[in-house]
Amino acid sequence: MSTVAQYIFSGLAIGGIYALVALGFHIMWSAARAVNFAHGDTLMIGGLLAAYLVGAGWPLALACGLAVLVGGAFGFVIERLAVRPFAGQANSIGWMLTTIAIGIMVESVATIETQGYALPLPSPGVAGSVQVLGAGLYPQELAIPVIALVAMAGLRLLQRRTLIGRAMQAVAHNRNAAALMGIDVNLVIAFSFALASLTGAAAGVLIAPVVQASATMGVLPGLKGFAVAIMGGITSAPGVVLTGLAYGVIEKFVEGYVSTAAREIVGFSLMIVVLLVFPQGLFGKREVAKV
Amino acid sequence: MTRLHTLGFLALATLLLAVPLTSGNEYELRLFMLFLIYAIIAVGLNVLVGLAGLVSLGQAGLFALGSYTGAIVATRLGFDMIGSALVAAVVAGLFGVLLAYPTVRVRGVYLAVVTIAFGLIVENVAIEWQSLTGGTTGLTSIPAPNVFGAVLSGYAYYGVLAASLFLLVLAAHNLKFSRYGRAMLAIAQSETAARALGLNPTAMRTLAFVVAAVTSGIAGTYYAFLNAYISPDIFTFTDSVRFLLMVILGGAASTFGPVIGAYILTYLPEYLQEFAVWQKFAYGALLLAVMFVLPRGIMGSLGALAARLRPAAKAATPTAGLPAEITLAPDERRPHAELVARALTVRFGGLTALAEASLRVKPGEIHALIGPNGAGKSTFVNTISGFYRPTSGAFELDGVQLTGLSSHEIARAGLARTFQNTELFGEMTVLENVMVGYQQRLAYGLAAALLHTPAMRREENRCRETAAGLLAFVGLADYRHEQARFLPFGLQRRLEIARALAAGPRLLLLDEPAAGLTTQEIDELEAMIRRIAGLGISVLLIEHHVELIMAVADTVTVLDYGQVIASDTPAVVQADPRVVEAYFGSSASHANLAEASA
Repeated sequence: MSTVAQYIFSGLAIGGIYALVALGFHIMWSAARAVNFAHGDTLMIGGLLAAYLVGAGWPLALACGLAVLVGGAFGFVIERLAVRPFAGQANSIGWMLTTIAIGIMVESVATIETQGYALPLPSPGVAGSVQVLGAGLYPQELAIPVIALVAMAGLRLLQRRTLIGRAMQAVAHNRNAAALMGIDVNLVIAFSFALASLTGAAAGVLIAPVVQASATMGVLPGLKGFAVAIMGGITSAPGVVLTGLAYGVIEKFVEGYVSTAAREIVGFSLMIVVLLVFPQGLFGKREVAKV
Repeated sequence: MTRLHTLGFLALATLLLAVPLTSGNEYELRLFMLFLIYAIIAVGLNVLVGLAGLVSLGQAGLFALGSYTGAIVATRLGFDMIGSALVAAVVAGLFGVLLAYPTVRVRGVYLAVVTIAFGLIVENVAIEWQSLTGGTTGLTSIPAPNVFGAVLSGYAYYGVLAASLFLLVLAAHNLKFSRYGRAMLAIAQSETAARALGLNPTAMRTLAFVVAAVTSGIAGTYYAFLNAYISPDIFTFTDSVRFLLMVILGGAASTFGPVIGAYILTYLPEYLQEFAVWQKFAYGALLLAVMFVLPRGIMGSLGALAARLRPAAKAATPTAGLPAEITLAPDERRPHAELVARALTVRFGGLTALAEASLRVKPGEIHALIGPNGAGKSTFVNTISGFYRPTSGAFELDGVQLTGLSSHEIARAGLARTFQNTELFGEMTVLENVMVGYQQRLAYGLAAALLHTPAMRREENRCRETAAGLLAFVGLADYRHEQARFLPFGLQRRLEIARALAAGPRLLLLDEPAAGLTTQEIDELEAMIRRIAGLGISVLLIEHHVELIMAVADTVTVLDYGQVIASDTPAVVQADPRVVEAYFGSSASHANLAEASA
């Protein structure tokens, strides 16, 4: 029983990270029909920078705040530099490769700066473990899925209640019509990328205390976050968040009962199967093209 | 083959012969052999990326699959190199089919993610399945390259790799300039139009995936024999990116581009070594620079430059066209086609776009379908050309049931169409557009295409001449080497008609051909429709332009709110009070419609 509870709670924790990363993919895709393939590196920037600043003597809150902001700025820059110049092209090879290129560069700098070592990020969330249903967990791990759900609700609120949020939805539905209504489409897209990167960097700050921060910490969460976004239906925010949490739990069970390599095999196979049965993802809407 | 391509193949052959003679030591030759293996992957991947327009970020997975399969059958079952490579090619090819299946439903970024996932799955299976793959330590003691028990020397193995690459480049080149290559390019540019011309997108995408998979599989076996050792960390996502970059850097869709790209990226690490720890950074920066400076790759940019320097040379290759009267001569046995639609109903959710609409296009007539906006005309057209499935009802061409067939099957049954919003293959030339239309009349198979056999060339010449004749028929003979997207709108419409005619249709469906045309262009269109009907082709004309309809149509059918409210000769329909009401409201008199049509 306690093993099952352990897997469920740990799964929800890592699933919350996937959910936050996938939420970022959802935000970018809605605005631009393009994403940052180096979104995993946004997570790494958040986690690593926070750990680095704390190591340099900064207070934890300030370090984390700045790390998240820098992550957001990274998203803003990458949209302007690597995505926008290729946005109009028929195939997506352009921005896929440019964002991958920037990811390689950022990761390389991080590797050089850390010399390949992992940095700890001490946080009160991992100071001591708590017992829930016989499972030993850090409070941090319990908080992550809650934060993912709060982020999802916050995004909904932003889209419903604020001008920029409504503009984001208008651009998502029809870019040209939005432009004709006086919406600065480029600004909305840039804002979306920045917002997506803020959530991505926040995910990095949240997971760093649990797994330690390193130059490669973003690779797998980035790829899996993308897989989760596609699986959940990249057009649906609740869809990707719920899928993220479920993916994390399934992953923990496979990892626990079989092995780490089997975890990736099952996870990614699951994604392909889901996509074959639901081409728009589990919760996504079909985008109809008129002949 | 053009003179430039012949020169290119000569240069490649010279290079492949000269390198082993001049290489100073074994390390140099080995590195060059590694380049040959990567080039094989890149040339195969180019068919997928350059021709079919599909992105694969999981090619390392297929490479690994081929490598492991080859190594396992060689070490466990004692297969020689040829046997191992064949088994690897078959296994990789099967996975290629499997990977192509998702393209039926997803493309673009979704497909990219599927291929990434595939690569990661293969990598992790290689780690996990220790009894077969040796886990993280990998497979060692793979035998030296051998054929039928005889061990190959280093130079002999080099010969195998060099010959493989040369033949592959030649085959890929031949494939590009055949019906298969044209079909892949066309499908990538407008799937809708391609389907309407009878092309089967799923089959072509599967072929492209299989080509890319089989070449990667063979390359994988070659690699295993060259290295004598393989492990999962040689086949990572980074390698998939590098294979894709080879194609893009060299120039997607070009003949020699992938080879050049593979060469640069094989030797690049040697030069990047001086950057020491910054090596990966430099690689990323280079990738970024390529996308901005050479988005079309080295060969693509050179080609664009050459085209700008000698634009006249392109226009100076006149081909005698076969007159349309000959190539479109109707079949003696069944001279004219008859289309019958019975009680077609199409519903979208709660909306009934078409309600029990029946229509009969009599053999050889020009039949016009009119109706106010939203009457269901477009729905009707899209239904009988197979893009929408009718909720109920049936339709047939000359008694052959078409209901439920997909659009390319309907096209093959003899129904060709044009599009309201023109759907051209924008980056292909005007002549190539029409040649794609001729596609389903070409009979040669894949082997003939790869070998460019004399029979295949004869068929291709016939195709080219027919296309040229049809361009003359619609008055576009002077534009045949222009890219279709640069044509003015009026000419694009004519090109669509020529392309549809190239399919040798028995019924031509024109979807609002006069929209956006000038008065003079409409007069020319009217004459053209008459000449098409004069060739014995039945025409179904969907139009708003009343004057044009009254002038050319033999029968007019009027749709309103999804229902047929009248179907008769133009004069009778014009006088029908229900038609007048549909167009002008109940208080209008006959005189109004007569005025509008005058």
